[in-house]
Amino acid sequence: MKRVLYTMAISFLLLGAQIKLAELRAQSAPTPAMKASAIQVLMIQSDEIKMPADFQISLYENLIQQLQKQGGFQHVYREGEHNAAGVTDLVVLHSTVRGFKKGSEMARNVTTVAGKTSIDVHCQFTDKDGKTVLERDLNGKVRFLGGNLRATLDFAKKAAKLSHDNFAARPVS
Amino acid sequence: MVFRSMQTATMALLGIVGFTAPPTVAQQPATGTKVVQFMGLEGVKAKSTGRLTLEGGNLQFTSSNAKANVPLHLIVDVVTGNDSQRVFRGTIGTLTMFAPYGGGRFLSLFRSKVDTLSIQYRDAEGGLHGAIFTMATGKADALKKEMVAQGAHTSIPIQDDAGSSDAKPAAAKEKKP
Repeated sequence: MKRVLYTMAISFLLLGAQIKLAELRAQSAPTPAMKASAIQVLMIQSDEIKMPADFQISLYENLIQQLQKQGGFQHVYREGEHNAAGVTDLVVLHSTVRGFKKGSEMARNVTTVAGKTSIDVHCQFTDKDGKTVLERDLNGKVRFLGGNLRATLDFAKKAAKLSHDNFAARPVS
Repeated sequence: MVFRSMQTATMALLGIVGFTAPPTVAQQPATGTKVVQFMGLEGVKAKSTGRLTLEGGNLQFTSSNAKANVPLHLIVDVVTGNDSQRVFRGTIGTLTMFAPYGGGRFLSLFRSKVDTLSIQYRDAEGGLHGAIFTMATGKADALKKEMVAQGAHTSIPIQDDAGSSDAKPAAAKEKKP
């Protein structure tokens, strides 16, 4: 009798744990917002945060490069491209800089622990009509090797992955 | 004996002087500003070295294996800035990290200052592009002045931009559409 109760208690515990795990998995899994054949990247805005122009351009160019590199979208349009107007299932990426700390490559090389460069960017994905479909805060940082602009590449990789996980018509191979 | 050794030394000295002599009139000096195209120009590999010239209303980048033209009237923003970079960089720079007794850390203290020139321009289809160039210190402002005089646009007036443009001033940003 004691053994039966013991087995039942363990079974209930395991069942509860499994249900909780399934819930957590469902929360963490990216919910497919919409599928788009093309994405348009707008120039990174940094109205509130003062950021050097080369960082702004590097963020924009790296983002386009990473989106093209990963595949999944038939077209990656730049800001202002006329051809994007004819695409029905277009998703538009608006990026706004929310935080910026320019570190020092020399400090990183000499001390290993100091001199980190970090950029916080708010990413907003909208459909063609301007309706928000996804919003997320991402960051880019460089801690050890490389120049300060390498933080922009780190952000671009994360943003490209986010775009693909949520909008790419063709899954990433 | 002494005469012969003096003759040999003189010959050697003349040889060295002749080898290191400055270029003569027959040798054409290279025009334009020597730059490193950090990123962004269409059809040009990132971090390629070349020369930037202003010819016929175009900003022309010429390297040993690529050439790119950007019409100056399509440049919507030119901004200069300054930065510093390691003297020992690239593959050699990475290898120095493995030098014993903190040698790599010591070598990373040697840095050279550079000017940066960032441009934003539109292509034929209206797409916005950005490109970043680095060059010897003191050259970016002069180049920007020439570009603006020939039709390029800028969000920051030249007198404000001189010296450092680590961050765009708020007033300049307001002018942007």
